Amino acid sequence: MLSIQNLHASIGDKEILKGIDLTIGKGEVHAVMGPNGAGKSTLGAVLTGRPDYEVTEGTITFMGKNLLEMSPEERSWAGIFLSFQYPVEIPGVSITAFMKAALAARRKAQGLPELKAGEFLKLQKEKMAELKMNPDFAKREVNVGFSGGEKKRNEIFQMAMLEPVLSILDETDSGLDVDALKIVADGVNALRTPERSSIIITHYQKLLEYVQPDVVHVLKAGRIVKTGGRELIEAIESKGFDQF
Amino acid sequence: MGHGRYIDPICGNHYKVAAGETLQLTYVILPGESRSIDVSIDLMGEGANLEIKALYLSGADEKVHIRTLVHHRVKNCHSRQLIKGIAGGSAEVRFDGVIVVAPGADGTEAFQENHNIVLTEEAKVETKPQLEIYADDVKCSHGATTGRLGEDELFYMRSRGIPEKEARTLQMLSFLSPVIPEGRREEIEAAVRGL
Repeated sequence: MLSIQNLHASIGDKEILKGIDLTIGKGEVHAVMGPNGAGKSTLGAVLTGRPDYEVTEGTITFMGKNLLEMSPEERSWAGIFLSFQYPVEIPGVSITAFMKAALAARRKAQGLPELKAGEFLKLQKEKMAELKMNPDFAKREVNVGFSGGEKKRNEIFQMAMLEPVLSILDETDSGLDVDALKIVADGVNALRTPERSSIIITHYQKLLEYVQPDVVHVLKAGRIVKTGGRELIEAIESKGFDQF
Repeated sequence: MGHGRYIDPICGNHYKVAAGETLQLTYVILPGESRSIDVSIDLMGEGANLEIKALYLSGADEKVHIRTLVHHRVKNCHSRQLIKGIAGGSAEVRFDGVIVVAPGADGTEAFQENHNIVLTEEAKVETKPQLEIYADDVKCSHGATTGRLGEDELFYMRSRGIPEKEARTLQMLSFLSPVIPEGRREEIEAAVRGL
């Protein structure tokens, strides 16, 4: 599904990713772990086409297409979703208006008719209920005045609405209490099908107890220095990242 | 009453607000015209209230000049001004806002805010708030900002599949929403799209 080869990326003059190779197959959940500053968030930003990051070398192929030639919105329509580490506030725009605009644009790009207002609201209500969100949430301005946990839950809600093919969760577990973490994990697991894949970026093992990854990568100083199975999580927990 | 040194403007609209009355003024300037608004308001009686909301959208080589003079002449009057707008093209926008609080006009509350977004390098916004306070017990503030559309918001929306142009429209409407008069949202949305 996703193939990253020799990926180098910079912000300004600073090279952050220094040759990443990563292949993700259909239905797989990959964890990317590493210390602060390793380039984990940069990987998520580059995959979603954040304009301030520049790819200087390498290729990314997503479902047979050259991802690097696609705009952020085209990547979304193709099924890529990033749960932001720091979700952005949009004053004056309600969650309903925001999600309506997002779904309408995607359906248009896919050649599907726009959802009727009633259908949209029903879908939104269902997804909110699954994530145990108060229905009043829909009327609130996007992320304005939300607690840390509410912001993360709102990210997972958007993910549930957009049903991405590839979800990238950037530190979604940070700032969540155990109950919120379980709800988020349920949301991620609900999307776990043989067709869909995820990348879970984290430096804790908390979320990985609830969403078990198939493959674990250790990212350090812009490179993947170790790839293995779940046993790596335990090794990191007991001996940290210095061993790699 | 009748402090001769506070001169009213020579031209433009002039309003007087009597004790206990409320005056609401709403201004909308849409693309396609150069326009000046020049308004002065005297809060003449105790407990008079004033609310000004102004919205401008300008592009091309349009010139917009908004000038307000709010004069708190007596005690316990309140005024609130919110002026927001977006300048594109090579538009030139200027806001002058003067608030005068006369001697003895204690209990005055006067607030003025002017926020602007520039869309291009060529667009210019100049904003000049001015407070003249001759009383002691007053609450007055003014704030002015001029900035660009936020790149973080834009990327967040695009990452959810909202096309860049649509995302910018949503951002602009979100910015303007506190000054959009009731019933005129569609018209203003159309103007924002055309900017």
